[in-house]
Amino acid sequence: MTDLTNIVRKEVKELLTPGSVASVLVMVVLFACLGNIIGGEVEKSTALPIIGVANYEDETIDTVSGEWNAYEALKNIYRKSVPPEDLDKYIIPMNKDTIYEDLTASGANFALILDDNFKENIESEKRGLIDIIYVYQPSGMINGTVSSTIGPLIVSSLNSDLSSMIIGSETEKEHVKFLTTPIDGSTSITYIKGEPHKDVTPSDISSKLTSQTMFIPIIIMIIIMMVGSIVISSMGSEKENKTLETLLTLPIKRTTIVTGKIIAAATVGLIFGLAYMLGMSFYLTSITSMGSTAEHAVDLNELGLGLGLADYALIAVSMFLAIACALGICMILGAFAKNYKSAQTMTMPLSILAIIPMFITMFAGWYGANILIKAVLFIIPFSHPMMATEALMNGDLTLVLAGIAYMAIFALGSILITVRLYKSDILITGLGQNKYIEMLKSRGRRSKH
Amino acid sequence: MVDALVLRDVRKSYGQREAVHGVSLTVKEGEVFGLIGHNGAGKTTMLRMISTILKITSGTIEVYGKDVAKESDAVRSMISYLPEDAGAYKDMTGRKYLTFIANFFASGAEKEAMVQKGIELADLGDRIDSRIDTYSKGMTRRLLIARAIMSSPKLAILDEVTSGLDVINAFEIREVIRQIADSGVTIVMSSHNMFEVDMVCDRVGMVDQGNLIDVGTPAELKEKYGKETLEEVFVAAVKGA
Repeated sequence: MTDLTNIVRKEVKELLTPGSVASVLVMVVLFACLGNIIGGEVEKSTALPIIGVANYEDETIDTVSGEWNAYEALKNIYRKSVPPEDLDKYIIPMNKDTIYEDLTASGANFALILDDNFKENIESEKRGLIDIIYVYQPSGMINGTVSSTIGPLIVSSLNSDLSSMIIGSETEKEHVKFLTTPIDGSTSITYIKGEPHKDVTPSDISSKLTSQTMFIPIIIMIIIMMVGSIVISSMGSEKENKTLETLLTLPIKRTTIVTGKIIAAATVGLIFGLAYMLGMSFYLTSITSMGSTAEHAVDLNELGLGLGLADYALIAVSMFLAIACALGICMILGAFAKNYKSAQTMTMPLSILAIIPMFITMFAGWYGANILIKAVLFIIPFSHPMMATEALMNGDLTLVLAGIAYMAIFALGSILITVRLYKSDILITGLGQNKYIEMLKSRGRRSKH
Repeated sequence: MVDALVLRDVRKSYGQREAVHGVSLTVKEGEVFGLIGHNGAGKTTMLRMISTILKITSGTIEVYGKDVAKESDAVRSMISYLPEDAGAYKDMTGRKYLTFIANFFASGAEKEAMVQKGIELADLGDRIDSRIDTYSKGMTRRLLIARAIMSSPKLAILDEVTSGLDVINAFEIREVIRQIADSGVTIVMSSHNMFEVDMVCDRVGMVDQGNLIDVGTPAELKEKYGKETLEEVFVAAVKGA
C-alpha cells in the first residue's frame, strides 16, 4: 500500500462515519418526502375542481339554438373529461341560502350563484350576473392559488357556451368572431441564435431553462460547503488530537499528506453531493411540474439550446475544478484552525463565497448581471460551474473555457500555498507565534511607547 | 560511541521574540537524555525542531549525521516523535492504528511483524481490538509509545510522556522507557517530573527561558550543586540559590 493510499483510506474511513452517512440519508429522504408532498399537492391542484351551482333552476334561457341551463352547461364542459356516471360528483346543486354550509359539507372548491334576474337580463340582452363563492381555508400556496384561478375560467367557458347558443348559426358565429377580434395575433416567432422558431416565446424558453438549471447552483453550493466543512473539520480534529504532529514526523512527504486529504475529502464530498443531488431531483421534479404547459412543450434540443456530450464533459471539468478550488481554500483555512471547534467557524468565508454566486446565478444570471456583478461572479471560482450550463446552452464557450482556465490556476495556486503552509511553522504554532504576526505586534507596542 | 543527536548554537525566533537562545548539546547513541524545565522554558520547541516540524532560525541540528533542515526526509525515517498529550485516531481500534502507522514504514511480513511488536509493547490484551475512544489516558499513552517504538527508530523523542497519568500508569510507562533504552534506542525526553528524570535518564539538560543552563548526569549535577534531589538542583541552577 502506498503512503497516499494509506492516508486516503484513513481519511475516507474517518469521514464516512455512521453519523455522517445517516445525516445525509436523512436529508435525501427529507427531500424525497418534500417532493412527494408537493407532488401530491400539485396533483390535487391540477385535478378537476368540484363546483357547486345554485339558483339555476328558474334561470333556464331560451335561445335560437335551444334551452340553456347553467347546471347542464357545466356538466357539458366536464363531459369531455369525466364519465357520465361521475358528473354528479363534480357538479353539485346547492342552495343559495345555505351556500356556506353546502360548500364546506361537500368539499367543493367553489360555487357559482346565478343572480335572481339572470334569465331576465340575458333575454333582454343585458349581462347576467354570476357570483363565484369561495371558502377560505388555509390550504397552502399551491391549492389556494389554483382554485381561485379556475373559477373565472369556468365562468369564461359558460360565457362562450351561452354566447354560441345565442348567436345561433355557424356563419353568424364567424361574423361575431370577426367583429370582436378582427386581428389574429396568436402566432409568435422567436429568433434563437439567429434562427426563427414559430410558436415559442422567450418566456417559454426562459421557464424551461430555469426548470432545467435552477437546481445546479444549489447542488454546487451544497457540495462546496460540505467538502469544505469536511476538510476544515478534519484539520481541526487532527490539530486538537495532535495526530497532525505525529503525521508530520512520519517518513511521508508533505505533498502526499495534502494530496491524500484532498482526494479523500473530494471523494466523500462527491458521494454526499450525489446523494443530495438524488434527493434534490425528487424534490425538483415535483416543483417543476407546477410550471405552465407551454414550457413543457418547449424542446430545447429542437431550439438548438440542448447540451451535447462535449458540453456535459465541460460541465464536469468545471465542477471538478470548483471542488479543487474549494479544497484548496479549505486546506489553507484549516491550517489556521486551532481545534475542531474553531475549525467549524472557519467554514464561514467559504459558505459566503458559495452562497453569493448561487443567489446571483439563480436570480440574475451572468447575462442579466451588470459589469460589477459579472466581475464578482468571475472572481469567485464556484460561480463557473453554476454558470456553465446556461452559457453552454447559449453557445458561449469562451466564458466556460475562461472559467476553467481561471479555476485551474486558482486551484493550483491554493494547493501550492497549502503545501508551503504544511512546510511552515504555522501548522503547529498557529498564527499567534507567526514571525510576521510577532513583528506586527512588536511594531504596535513600539508605536504605543 | 556515535553521536545520535548534535545541536549547534540552535536558535528559534518568532519575530522579535527569541524562544530558544543558542543551545548546543550532544546526545550519544543509546543514551536516555532528559530535558527539564518549567512551562514555556523552550523544551517542546527544541523537541519540535529536532522532529523536523518547526524550522530552525539559526544553528544546526544533526540526527545521526543528517541535517534536520536539509535532509528532513532522511531524519524522519530515523526518528519517532511523541508529542505531549498526543491522541490517536479515535474511530480506529488500537490494532488498526498500529497497522495504519506501520504501513508508512514497511509492507507484507515485515509490516505484520512491526504491528505484532507494537501490540506486545502496548500490552493492552483484548482491548487492542477496542476503539481508541474507549481507552483510558494510560492505555492511550501505552498505545502511542508502542506506536513510537515499534518501527525501531534510532532516536525516540518523547515530550512529557507521563504528564497527567496516575502513579501506577506513570510507573509502568517509565518501565517501558527503560526497556526501550536497554534495547539500544536513543531517547530524548522532556519532563516536569524531576523524580522521573532522575530515575530514567542517563544525562539531564536543564532549560530555563530558552537557555540550556547546565548538562550532566543526575549524580554529577547533584554533586555540583550540593543538593540531594534533582528538583533542588534545578531550583538552585535557575535561582542561583
